[in-house]
Amino acid sequence: MTLFFLGIALILAGGLAAALLRRRPALADRAFGVLVAGGCALGLVPAVAALAGRDVAEISFAMAMPGGPWAFGIDGLSAFFLLIVFGVGLASAIYGLAYLAVERRGGHRPVATSHLLMAVVLAALVLVVTSRAVVPFLMAWESMAVLAYFLVVFESEKADVRRAGLVYLIATHTGTLALFAMFAFWGRFAETLSFDALAAGAASLPAGGALVLCLALVGFGLKAGLVPLHFWLPEAHASAPSHVSALMSGVVIKMGIYGLLRVVSLLGAPPAWWGWLVLIVGVLSGVLGVVWALAQHDLKRLLAYHSVENIGIILLGLGVGALGMSYHLPVVAALGFAGAILHTLNHALFKSLLFLGAGAVYRATGTRAIDRLGGLARRMPLTWVAFLVGSVAIVGLPPLNGFVSEWVVYQALLRSGAAEQGGPLRLAVLGVAGLALIGALALACFAKVDGIVFLGTSRSAEAAQAREVGKAMLGPMFALALACGAIGLAPVLVVHPAVSAGALIAGLPPDAIGAAGGEVLRAMAWIAFLSLALIVLLALGWRAWAALRRRRPPVPAETWGCGYAEPTPRMQYTASSFATPLLASFGSVAGVHESRHGGAFETHASELVLDNVALPLWSVVQGLAARLRPIQQGRLWIYLVYLMAALLLLLLYLATSGGTTSP
Amino acid sequence: MTWTPLVALATLLVVAPLLPGVATKTRALLTGRRGPPVLQLYWDLGKLLRKGAVYSTTTTWVFRLAPVVVVATALLAASVVPLDGRSALVSFTGDLVAFAYLLALGRFMLVLGGLDTGSSFEGMGASREVTFSSFAEPALFLCFAGLTLATRGLSLTGMLGSPLAAAWPAAAPSLAMIGVSLFLVLLAEASRVPVDDPATHLELTMIHEVIVLDHSGPDFALILYASALKLALFGALLVGVLVPRARLPGPAAIAVLVLGLVVVAVLVGIVESSMARLRLSRVPQFLIAASVLASLGVILLLMT
Repeated sequence: MTLFFLGIALILAGGLAAALLRRRPALADRAFGVLVAGGCALGLVPAVAALAGRDVAEISFAMAMPGGPWAFGIDGLSAFFLLIVFGVGLASAIYGLAYLAVERRGGHRPVATSHLLMAVVLAALVLVVTSRAVVPFLMAWESMAVLAYFLVVFESEKADVRRAGLVYLIATHTGTLALFAMFAFWGRFAETLSFDALAAGAASLPAGGALVLCLALVGFGLKAGLVPLHFWLPEAHASAPSHVSALMSGVVIKMGIYGLLRVVSLLGAPPAWWGWLVLIVGVLSGVLGVVWALAQHDLKRLLAYHSVENIGIILLGLGVGALGMSYHLPVVAALGFAGAILHTLNHALFKSLLFLGAGAVYRATGTRAIDRLGGLARRMPLTWVAFLVGSVAIVGLPPLNGFVSEWVVYQALLRSGAAEQGGPLRLAVLGVAGLALIGALALACFAKVDGIVFLGTSRSAEAAQAREVGKAMLGPMFALALACGAIGLAPVLVVHPAVSAGALIAGLPPDAIGAAGGEVLRAMAWIAFLSLALIVLLALGWRAWAALRRRRPPVPAETWGCGYAEPTPRMQYTASSFATPLLASFGSVAGVHESRHGGAFETHASELVLDNVALPLWSVVQGLAARLRPIQQGRLWIYLVYLMAALLLLLLYLATSGGTTSP
Repeated sequence: MTWTPLVALATLLVVAPLLPGVATKTRALLTGRRGPPVLQLYWDLGKLLRKGAVYSTTTTWVFRLAPVVVVATALLAASVVPLDGRSALVSFTGDLVAFAYLLALGRFMLVLGGLDTGSSFEGMGASREVTFSSFAEPALFLCFAGLTLATRGLSLTGMLGSPLAAAWPAAAPSLAMIGVSLFLVLLAEASRVPVDDPATHLELTMIHEVIVLDHSGPDFALILYASALKLALFGALLVGVLVPRARLPGPAAIAVLVLGLVVVAVLVGIVESSMARLRLSRVPQFLIAASVLASLGVILLLMT
């Protein structure tokens, strides 16, 4: 743990260096890069040790505060999330240096502050996943959430950025409120507010912890962005600078998943209805997320909706894992949770890769509108390769990492169907249809993105003059792409610790799943074999075909246009026309508005939940809040009176309740 | 280690181009024409392989790599199917996911290859291909789910191997529904009527044909071969479900497979000659019907 805290200190020092040395940008950038990289590397040591099965000691600070000591620890679950925070956080932070360097020339945006905030958010994220007591957890959680707001509104002179930030801030605070309620209620049944005490008190929670589980689903669900609590996510992720989007989509929303997993691990087997609820919400988030993604015309909004989709896949795993606990099937439980954790890691890798790629496209062309791009594969060949790797990974195709985690989720679903004493759990096997639909729709969506943005010919002057971005931006992208490839080719490296962590969440010893564990590991070897075989076949095929081409040189020609010899870029298919047949099959759920005037045809994507539910609800809240306005007088003495009154009330409460509630 | 799985795979690779020929011949005979020879696709492949390719100046390496990926993924997908009715060349728990996703990788690259030309035609075909496969994929996985429930198998070998024969008497209604559903999926995946019409001559109405409009020479040969192989693969799955062959000796099991594939091709031909292609907007409904049928099979199994 010493190394770990040293790592955090280095990351914070990096942030400070960036802020203090702002007059000397070159030095500041170098100091920031070196310190943050060093900090992440140090922090990874205990995380990897924990993943390898070694025990990492907990550390505990006695605080003169209610709620008991502040404990920090790294178990298998924390370690996975540490891997995500350090790995993806580092890639985003380094990429951010080059990405924001352009902004220095304008001089009106707070570049140095943004780097500082980045470092502090990383430290807060690390503390969220290692806290073992409620008070430090909530403090880290709130720092992460609020500071992320400032990162999002970097381009605060734009009205839509400010609006996106505000919606995010309101959503995240609502979520935190639910978490406060959850922990406060749970704390009444526990000795102290440490996680161990909460776990000990879980058995006495009424109705199997129904209230705690519901509040967790709302509080953590708002952060994770599951449907219908995703309404803040697309706009916030699209408006942030690209490296912040990568961090938000790759890491920050995963804290919601971490929270849910942690609650389940503390609470023990949840009631079956909760597992079914999570499973259904997962399918819903997955399908709707990708359908809405298909309807987008803005590259980053599209990617943001894919985060909703992938949270759906993660929840599918989490739901089936919870069901496995409820119905006492250890194999299903461990594999379900393992799938959820693994997909969380994988999504962090490929989604941040894709956001960094989108950032490169934005820097090179100045636009995020998919229909204004095209032909970038020729202009930005390296960005294209990295983006293609991310696309294949996110669609869940072999030989990359997305396939591995989706395979684990499929495995959990199929095993619930094959279980001899499955009972009602066997119904969960129908989830494979949901996962298959999500996968196929994701393929459609990324065929659209890759095809329209990178292939064909440029649809605008900006795209036609795009230049490849520099090494400082390509480096982090290729590091993430390599990680995606490594997990795809050697899946056992992550699947084994994931299954152990899954067993840990389910409250089982690591070897509880017995023979099934061996089968899974053997399957991993075969998947690695198939992936390698695929690569070898492709290499051989490519060489054979190249030889054939040398023998008979290919003839260059125009693309076939039924004999029309003057093709223009405008004759190409557009993103809108590509997605229309699919969206039409989903009808009004897709939320697409078509408008035809003259010879022109346009489609617009609407925010169904934000426009129809969240905003009307917000205006009701605002109306109620207006009644409270008389207490705001703007005079200092009134606020001093409020403070005094609050302190008095607190003293009165202490006097009547007979001292603190915890030792 | 027996050699039957390898021999079965080799047989499948050899007979695959026969199947479109059989389907076309059936269609021709039923509509009173003579039709092209059954072996026409073999001649076509030979001819294309000897030709040079024409590449659009818009295209990049994606266009050139796509045909190789399509064939390589189909080959690997074939390796997990228990073609001799007993065991596949490669078999592991959850290999059915690898089967479906390898084919999906092929489709992804095929579609990207099409979009690489920057043509509206290819864009149209690509859009249709991904739309319809989105509805075919859940149906396929529901069929797999049903097979898992019926046999407790978690791999294609476990589902289609020896436990299947034991499962048939009790689960006959469900397995029959799954068979029909698989046949509908086959029609979509292999781009046959009523989803797609391989004989159409108008670019605007094509799906598979229009994605590969700009492919020529050896590249086109690979694509034609891969699509024949895909038909054969889904045919083999169908034969595997409907005709459990675990008790037959190896050579007989392979002979039954070939016979079964020819019967499937004849069935495809009969469907093609008896109905027109569906309107494009109706195709999703057709595929949802396949999903519903498979779900019904699954639910029947869950009730027992």
